[in-house]
Formats: sequence, structure tokens, C-alpha cells
Amino acid sequence: MDTYIQVLTNGLMLGALYACIAVGFSLVWGVLNIINMMHGSLIILGGYLTYFAWLHLKINPLFMLLIVPPLLFLLGYLLQFVMINRVVARPVLTTLTLTFGLDMILYNLMNVVFEATPRRITMDIGSVSFMDVVLPGDRLLAMVLALALTGILYGVMRTSRTGRAIVAVRMDRDAAALMGIRINRVYAVTFAISAMMAGACGVLMAVTFPVTTNITGLLLGKAFVVCVLGGLGSVPGALIGGLALGLIESLSGNWWGPQNAVLTGSVLMIVLLMTRPTGLLGKAGYE
Amino acid sequence: MNSLRSGLMWFVPLTVLLALTPFISNNYIVQQATFVCMYATLALSWNFMGGYTGYPSFSTSAFIGLGAYAGAILQNGGVPMVLAWVIATGVTGLFAACLGYAILRMKGHYFAIGSISIVEILRLIAASWSSFTGGGEGLNLPIFRGGPEYAGMVFLYAFLVLMLVAVLATVLVDRSRLGFGLRCIEQNEDAADMVGVNVNASKIAAFVLSAIFCGTAGAMSASWVSYISPPDAFSIVMTLKVPVMAMLGGAGTMFGPVFGALVFVVIEQSVLSRFLDYNQAILGLIIVFLIFFLPGGLLRSTLFKQFKQRILTKDPQESKP
Amino acid sequence: MRLPKLMGFLSLASFLTFASLKPAFAADDVIRIGAPLALTGGLADEGKKQQVSYAMWAKRVNAAGGITVGGKKMKVQIIEVDYQTDEKRAQQIAEKLITQDKVNFLTAPFGSGHTKVVAGVAERYGVPVIASVASSESVFNQGYKYLFGTLSPNGGITENMAKMFTKVQPSIKKIAILGREDVFPKSMANEMKASAERAGLQVVYNETYPVGILDHATALSKIKSSAPDWIYISGYTQDLVLARKQMADLKITAPIITMITGPAYQEFITALGPVADGVTSASWWHHSAMYKSDDVFGSTQEFYKDFLTQGKGDPDYVNASAAAALITLQKAIEKAGTLDKVKVRDALAATNIMTFYGPIKFGPNGMNQGRELPIVQVQKGKVVPLFPDVIKQGTLQIIK
Repeated sequence: MDTYIQVLTNGLMLGALYACIAVGFSLVWGVLNIINMMHGSLIILGGYLTYFAWLHLKINPLFMLLIVPPLLFLLGYLLQFVMINRVVARPVLTTLTLTFGLDMILYNLMNVVFEATPRRITMDIGSVSFMDVVLPGDRLLAMVLALALTGILYGVMRTSRTGRAIVAVRMDRDAAALMGIRINRVYAVTFAISAMMAGACGVLMAVTFPVTTNITGLLLGKAFVVCVLGGLGSVPGALIGGLALGLIESLSGNWWGPQNAVLTGSVLMIVLLMTRPTGLLGKAGYE
Repeated sequence: MNSLRSGLMWFVPLTVLLALTPFISNNYIVQQATFVCMYATLALSWNFMGGYTGYPSFSTSAFIGLGAYAGAILQNGGVPMVLAWVIATGVTGLFAACLGYAILRMKGHYFAIGSISIVEILRLIAASWSSFTGGGEGLNLPIFRGGPEYAGMVFLYAFLVLMLVAVLATVLVDRSRLGFGLRCIEQNEDAADMVGVNVNASKIAAFVLSAIFCGTAGAMSASWVSYISPPDAFSIVMTLKVPVMAMLGGAGTMFGPVFGALVFVVIEQSVLSRFLDYNQAILGLIIVFLIFFLPGGLLRSTLFKQFKQRILTKDPQESKP
Repeated sequence: MRLPKLMGFLSLASFLTFASLKPAFAADDVIRIGAPLALTGGLADEGKKQQVSYAMWAKRVNAAGGITVGGKKMKVQIIEVDYQTDEKRAQQIAEKLITQDKVNFLTAPFGSGHTKVVAGVAERYGVPVIASVASSESVFNQGYKYLFGTLSPNGGITENMAKMFTKVQPSIKKIAILGREDVFPKSMANEMKASAERAGLQVVYNETYPVGILDHATALSKIKSSAPDWIYISGYTQDLVLARKQMADLKITAPIITMITGPAYQEFITALGPVADGVTSASWWHHSAMYKSDDVFGSTQEFYKDFLTQGKGDPDYVNASAAAALITLQKAIEKAGTLDKVKVRDALAATNIMTFYGPIKFGPNGMNQGRELPIVQVQKGKVVPLFPDVIKQGTLQIIK
């Protein structure tokens, strides 16, 4: 029984991280209808910035949560204006290929500047034990922060004008335009928010995982699965999807061995794509 | 008809040139020519699904890998090489038919993601089913006997023939009811249905066509290298590069993918040796350039058309491009 | 009708242009050694290690005038090409080096899978290829005659560890094995299982994790619940760093924790800090060895000193093996007295020499015969060899 609680706890902690990885990606996909292949690389970019700030300037990584996200927000806004805006209405293949190309550029640049060696911030926080269940300190911290960030984003989306505009565009683009919402502006802000969340996620990842460009593809893959599980364009959806994936991987890894943990998630995704592509929460889930 | 003739005008000399490489150049060039044929085949295959039908398919590597493993397991079981290739092709086709039935009901982004996750899933299965596939350690294949020049020639011609078959299939489909139906689906699936196109059958047919030659290519490639392993057989990089090649030349045209593959190989070669550290970034830039300035591919670009027009003003009977 | 002809012409032109695109390696009194290396991509770090060692060797050899080939001294030239950790490229590059750049000999890149691909090409052309970083028997099991590897087979390591650990700590009864589903780490996991069973241990956990996993918590939690005395994990540096860290976080420990090949690399210790202490591992070489040899370095110490001047920290077995591979090639060329590929190949097969890296003698499958491979442990942030006795600097410390 204890192991099960540990397994579930592991799953939830991992899941919170997955949710954070996916939330920005989900927004862009749901609102702009674009699959942003750069998402994984943006996360790692955030991770590298955090790592090097820690290494050379001795800045506490948590402090970087105030610096990296705004930086990436700007980067996202810029990217959107210069590149993405022009292809928003084009078919899937075009947008996907474009972001794939941009990703290759970003990935290559990061490799050249930062090098692919796995880097780890050695900030050992220790762990917390609670009735035979061990919660690693940094994971716990990351989970709390991930949930907090996601919560803040959700709050902002619901209350601020821009947030509500984004939701409106996601619901019905043309109606929103008729209501006077500047679609291009909304797109740009959404993309920027996505980049910002990716950056924040990167900071959290730097605290928990070794940072390396080798895993950008992996992160992107997780984002896909979370989006399908939880539904597109909604913050609660990404959260549910992330937690669900974390639990699924943890449980299936426990039952069928770690080699099948990832496989289970992917197969589940395919099954859902075939049967219920809008995700576990369905259309009602967004917002 | 016209595009067929004009396409053949340069395709035939190219094929002849490729076929002659063992006699006019060294083995490295022969190998490059073989790669051109292989990539052209893959791009042509993708074209059925992504070009004609308009479904963004990223499952190319799933079929390549499946063909490779099928071919390898058969050959290791004593089946002669060419027969193994044929059977592997059949296996891949069957798989595509079943898979198509399941995922072709998805559209747009969902289809794209579904198709790319098939690659991942197959890779994971190949990696964990060690007793059958050798798992992470990969599979050996019997080495093709008979000196490098001979082997080089054999595989060149094998891939050349495969490419020709793929071109033939493309031409036949393009001019048939199936091709017409696929183009209707690409424009508007529901309207196509109403007009009387058997949408489901057509899509599955296109999907199977997009799979079989990839399967053969995979099996041939496995025999060529004599060793396969999951990450190389089910390569995500390849499955993303193939659509780019087709789009570069012109998706939905008959010969566009071939031209795209050729240009791609030439670029890769000239870039490879000169900008070692920035290979991927340059490829990325090419893609960005492609999307913004050549959305229909090289064979459809306005620059190209103007070029064609100027050449053709001397020949007034020539109809519009 | 003109345009398609024009395109036909363009295709022809482009082909001919790039058929003539060759670097001009015209010099004929130079020994050309082709080196496909992963300088970018997933294995870039390892590729660069080989690059550094090759350069060190070449510099020394050329400083001494070159290699003596049948009475004449010829300089060496290493032709490096980046194959970007991509299998298809590895094949292309190998082919290019042989047919375009006309190399006399080849080296193999890091890692079993791509070594195999390069070896396949080399075998076709009859070009001797020396692999410095391939230790899995499955790489050498295709009957290639032209492939030789300086790393000894994996099996020897696990046998030695099982024997030694059970002797020092007889209370060890249960072992948990977690391997990465990839050529080399999987082979190491399989070997450990076999050796453990032969030593009378009970294998309480034996699973693999897929390439591309972000989290080991599941596997580790299960391992914890089976309460093993010895935890053995194989993988590449980033997997092992993550696993060790998660073990510490989840409060999982055992008297003996072994990771292959983590601690053999400095990056492992740097990334983990104090958490790396106590982890045992094995390697193919340690810089504290005291071999004396008749090669361009002369002794392990000499190589070590030279390496330190490169400013890349301590050398690990990859660095040493890469240099040793070229030394072996050099000796074979000198013995054969010619650059004829078949004769050099035969000389390689008959190799039986001592180098700064240790003895090199190839078995019938081309692998360096197993011998006493170092077992090490991280103690207070430093890698301390425990075995064999000739290089022993410390004793096994049980993790509390």
C-alpha cells in the first residue's frame, strides 16, 4: 500500500511538471491553431539561461523566475510578429513545417553557444518525508510553483481584458473580430504568453533535471500527449492532462516496467485521438 | 498531359544520368545517386497523402522502419534478399491499411500528431520487444557479398527501379479517378463526399500507396547497411525531412518530389562540408525561406513560371504553364 | 519545350559540379586516417574526446618525423568529418572518406551502433578500421575481418565486480538491475545479471528503461521496495546523473551502488557534487595506472601529463582508448612495413603489445582480450581505483 502511495505521489509531482510544460503549447494550439515545434527548445532555453546565471553570476535559480519569463515573453512576441503572423491562416503542414524550421535554427544556435553537455544545478534541497512517502524537495518545490504559475495564468485569463479576449478568440475567431477584438494583437500576446510559460517551465526544469538540448524533442512529445489528454487551449485542461499523464506513466511503469511507461501514454493518446480528440474534459473543458 | 511531358523532359535525362554514375564516377557519387533515388521515392510516397489528399502525414518513418525490421527478420530467417523486400512491402501495406482505417478519421493537426506518434510507438515497441527485434541492440543482417563497386551498383539500380515504380504509380494515380477524387478531398472533404467520391476508400488507398514504397525502401536500406536499430530505423528527423523535400519541389505535382529530393541532396552535400557547426540552422533557414517565398514548391513558384514564360515566348504554341 | 531540357541540363550540371567537389588531398607521402566523429548531435561530447586524443597522438608522431613505413618516414594526417550522430550520415561519410578522400585507414566513432555501420562500409572496401569506444560483443559479432577494437569485452567487468564485492562484503545477497535499452548499456545489464547469478546473488529487480525517459522515480520506487543490497544501473551520463539524484531525493540507498559508466567521466562527479560519493563503477582504464610502454607517450604518466595541458581536466578511458587505437595502428603499420591494407590488417590481427593504456592483443573477433579492468569508486569527489591490485589506491567503502 505504501508503495502505491509513493507511486501516486511520484506521478502527481511529475504530472505537475508535465502540466507546466504543456500549458503554453496548448494555448497556442488552441487559440492560434498552430503547433509550435519550438516549444521544447524554448523550455530548454529558459533552462540554460537559469543554469548559466547560477553558474557565472551565482543567481539563485528561483530568482530567475522573475527574469527569464519576461525575456521569453518578448522573444515570443517578436517571433509572432515577424514570422508566425504571416502564416496563421495557412494549412497545418505549412505552419508545422515553419515552426519546425525555426526550431532547427534555435536548437542549432543553443548547441553552438551552450553545448549539449547535460548541466545540473547542484542545489540540493533534500527531501520531505511524510508517513513513509518521500517527497523530493526540488520536485515538491517545482510542483508547487508549477501549480502556482498555472493558477496565476488561469486567473489572469479569466479576469484581465486581454485574457478574456484570448478566450473569446479561442471560442470563435470571427465573432471575436466582429466584437472589435484585434485578432493579431491577441495572437501575438498568446504566443508571447506561451513562450513565457515555457521559460518559466525551463527555470523549474533546471532545478530538477539536467539541462541539455538532447531532450527538447522529448518535452515536445510530452506536450502533445498532455494536450490530447486534456484538451486544447485551456489552462485547466493542461493541468488535468498533465496530472493524468504523470499518474498514467507512474502506474504503468510500476505494473509493467519502466520500458512500457512511455509507451502506455503514447498508445493512450492514439486511442483518444481516434475516439475523443477533444480530450478527457471535452469541449466543455476549455476556459 | 502537358505537365507529364514537360516533367519527363528532365526526369528522363536525370534517370539516365543516375543510372550511368557507376561508369562515369566513383563509388561515393554512386552512393549519393542512390540516396537521391531513395529520397525521391520517399518524397513521392508522401506526396500521395500530403500532396494530393492534403493530409499532413508524418508517418513516413513508421513505414520505413517497419519495412526495415520486416526485411531484416525475414532475411535472418533465411529468406532470399529480394523476396524479403517484396514480403516486407506487403507487410507494410497491410499495416497501413489497418492503421489508415483507424487514424484517417482524424483531420488536420490531430492527424499530424497521430501519424507522428505512430513512429514513436513503433520505435518503443521495437526497442522493448528484444526477443523478436533485438531490442536496443539492434539487428544484424547478412552482408551483401561481392565487393563495394558491385554492391554499390546493385543497390543503386534497386533504388532506381523503386523510384521509377513510384513515379509510375504517381502518374497513373494523377490521371485516374482516384487522383481526381483525392484532389476533391483535398479541397473540401464533405463536398467530395456529396459529389460521389468514396472518401474512405480513397483515403485508405492513398495512405497505403504512401506506405508501400517506404516499406520497400526500408527493407532495401537495411540490407545495404547490414544493421538496423530502433532510433535509426524509426527516425523522427527523417519523417520530418521527407515532407520538406516534397514541398520544396512542389507537393501535389507529379515530379515535384523528385526535383525536391535532388535539390535537397545537393544542398546537403554542399552545406555538409562547409558549415559543419551550423548544418541544422541552415536547413532551418531553407525551410523558413521555403515557407515564405516558395509556398508551392520550386516547380510552381512565380519566379519559375516567369522563367518558363520567357523561354516559351519563342514557342507560341506552348500552352500556359 | 526548352525549359525541361534546361532543367535536364541543370540537373546534369549540378551533379557534375558536386561530383568534382572534392577537397584536394593530393599529398601522396602522407598517411591519411579517416575519422568520422560526432562533433554535433547527441554524442558530441564523446566525439570531441576522441578528437582531442587523435590530435595529441598525431602531434607527437609528426614531431618525431612520422611513422616508419618500410624504411621511409611518413607523416600522418587525420581527416575528421562530423557525421552529426546520424546513422545514415555515418555510412555516407565512411564511404566518402574511402572513395573520395582516399584514406588509408579508418577510425570508428563513439558508440556501438555507429561503429557497426562504419565497420560495415570499411569491410566492403577492405579498409582496416580501429574502434576505440565499442565494447559490446554484439558489435564484433558479424564476422568482420577488418574491424578491431581497443576496449575489452563488457563481460570481464561484471565478473570482476561480482567476485570482488561478494568477497569484501559477504552479506550482500540481493541485487537490483536497471539498464537502458540501448546497445552498450543493455549489454552491461545483461552481463551483470549473468555474473550475479554465477556469484550466487538473487536478482530481485531486472528491467530496462527506454531511450528518452525523463524520470526514473517509478523504477526507483519499485527497487526500493525490493530492498536490494546492491543497486546496479547502466546508461549514459545524463541518465545516471538523474537516477542518482532521484535516488538521493527519494531516500533510496544500498550498501553498494554501481553505475556504468557514470563515474568514469568527470562530468558525472561535477554534476552531482557530494551525492556522487560512494558510487562504484568500472572502466577500461584509469590514469593512475603505471604502464610503461614503447610508444609515442612512453608511459601512462606521460600521457596523463600531456593531457592535463589540454585544459580539459583528467583524461578518461575514452581519451586513452582513442589514443591507444592509433598507437596500435601505428605499430601495425611499422611491423607490416607497408601501407598495403591486407598486410596491415594481418599485422593488426597479430598485435601483442604494451601501450600506455595497457596491453593490447586482439582476439579472433577483433576485440582486445579481456584483462584486469579497473573497478573504481568515487570517494570524496575523486575517482579511486579499487582493483586490480597494481593500481589499487583505496578500499571499497560501504554506503551507509
